[in-house]
Amino acid sequence: MKKGRIYTIVFMLIISAVFTFLLAGANSLFLPKIQENARLADMRAVLYVFNLSQDGSADEVLQRFEQNIRQTTISGIDLYEYSSADGQPEAYAIPFTGRGLWGSISGYLGVLAKLDQMIGLVFTDQSETPGLGGRIDELAFREQFRNIAITANTTLTYGQTDGSQIDAITGATLTSNSVMRIINQVLDTTVSKLGVTGND
Amino acid sequence: MTEKVRDVISRNVWKENQVLRMILGICSSLAVTNLMVNSLVMGLGLTFVTALSSLTISLLRNAIPHRVRMIVQTLIIAAYVILVDIFLKANMTDISKALGPYVGLIITNCIIMGRAEAYAQKNPPLLSMLDGFFAGIGYTIVLLIIALFREFLGFGTIFGFNVNFIGFETWTIMVMPPAAFFLIGILIWITSNMFAKGKASKAK
Repeated sequence: MKKGRIYTIVFMLIISAVFTFLLAGANSLFLPKIQENARLADMRAVLYVFNLSQDGSADEVLQRFEQNIRQTTISGIDLYEYSSADGQPEAYAIPFTGRGLWGSISGYLGVLAKLDQMIGLVFTDQSETPGLGGRIDELAFREQFRNIAITANTTLTYGQTDGSQIDAITGATLTSNSVMRIINQVLDTTVSKLGVTGND
Repeated sequence: MTEKVRDVISRNVWKENQVLRMILGICSSLAVTNLMVNSLVMGLGLTFVTALSSLTISLLRNAIPHRVRMIVQTLIIAAYVILVDIFLKANMTDISKALGPYVGLIITNCIIMGRAEAYAQKNPPLLSMLDGFFAGIGYTIVLLIIALFREFLGFGTIFGFNVNFIGFETWTIMVMPPAAFFLIGILIWITSNMFAKGKASKAK
């Protein structure tokens, strides 16, 4: 069947309009849920960094989160602060974004408020190779970054350092190195910035 | 002229299996098959998209101007893929994260375009939908077979359950994309042999 030029243009306009409308509808329908999921995932990540339980329903997570954790800004850095019952800050979760192998890697790095210990590491967003670099999301990798003593000029490396052993991921050298570089950057710049106010 | 439903099923799942016989959709077969869950969701996502895009294209087949039919097909396919992506993000956050960019890449999966061009363009809607659906099922089955070997040998698990009872050393190579190359190659070799034998015995 031969069809004219005008017909073609009108047809394209109509079909584009219909499908755009359909997708816009689906998007606005699901958007609240997607945002809620993202927020919940973020809260779970912060709870994990502080070594608190991240299990349970959305409400339980929210309640646990709001009990001790608040968002605050210290020397120009937006972060989450964990305070004890009497309101003293005990630890910080510092958000970071750095360059991975395929895309950026974002997450939180936890340090004690005294800045002498790194307490946890979690990734909230990464696009590393699934099954290889993507395994930085696995507990076995992340748990290695708990309770590591740091000083003003610590540079972490894989292998044995000062009694703590951190292993890279086999087959994912570039991702492993990126993660280590990002951690050291955060420790080097952000954490030392926090330290300046701490000494005031 | 029109095909029987049973023929549509056997053709798509076996005789003209998109991955093994038509060698289509290889990129995603390599990428997502290191875990069975990921393969299953990817396969179902593709099945959904192929079925519905074939249905839509078939419904519109007499209205679509021939010159721009590929653009229209891509538009329709893209719309359904975005729907799947939104749905996964809202309801299956973990799997959506694990599949990452591959969901969006369903758009470029040759199987869908292939079914649209080769079948939906000239067949009635219901048959086209079934054709798309079973093409997707055929793809899913192959993905699951590959993933079964890769997950078992690479992680010692099946669908995330530990089945590594004898405690063998897992093969890192199985987790990496090259392993899927080997496995797809072996599967294609086996099926091609079976078809060659079938033909030979018929010739006698």
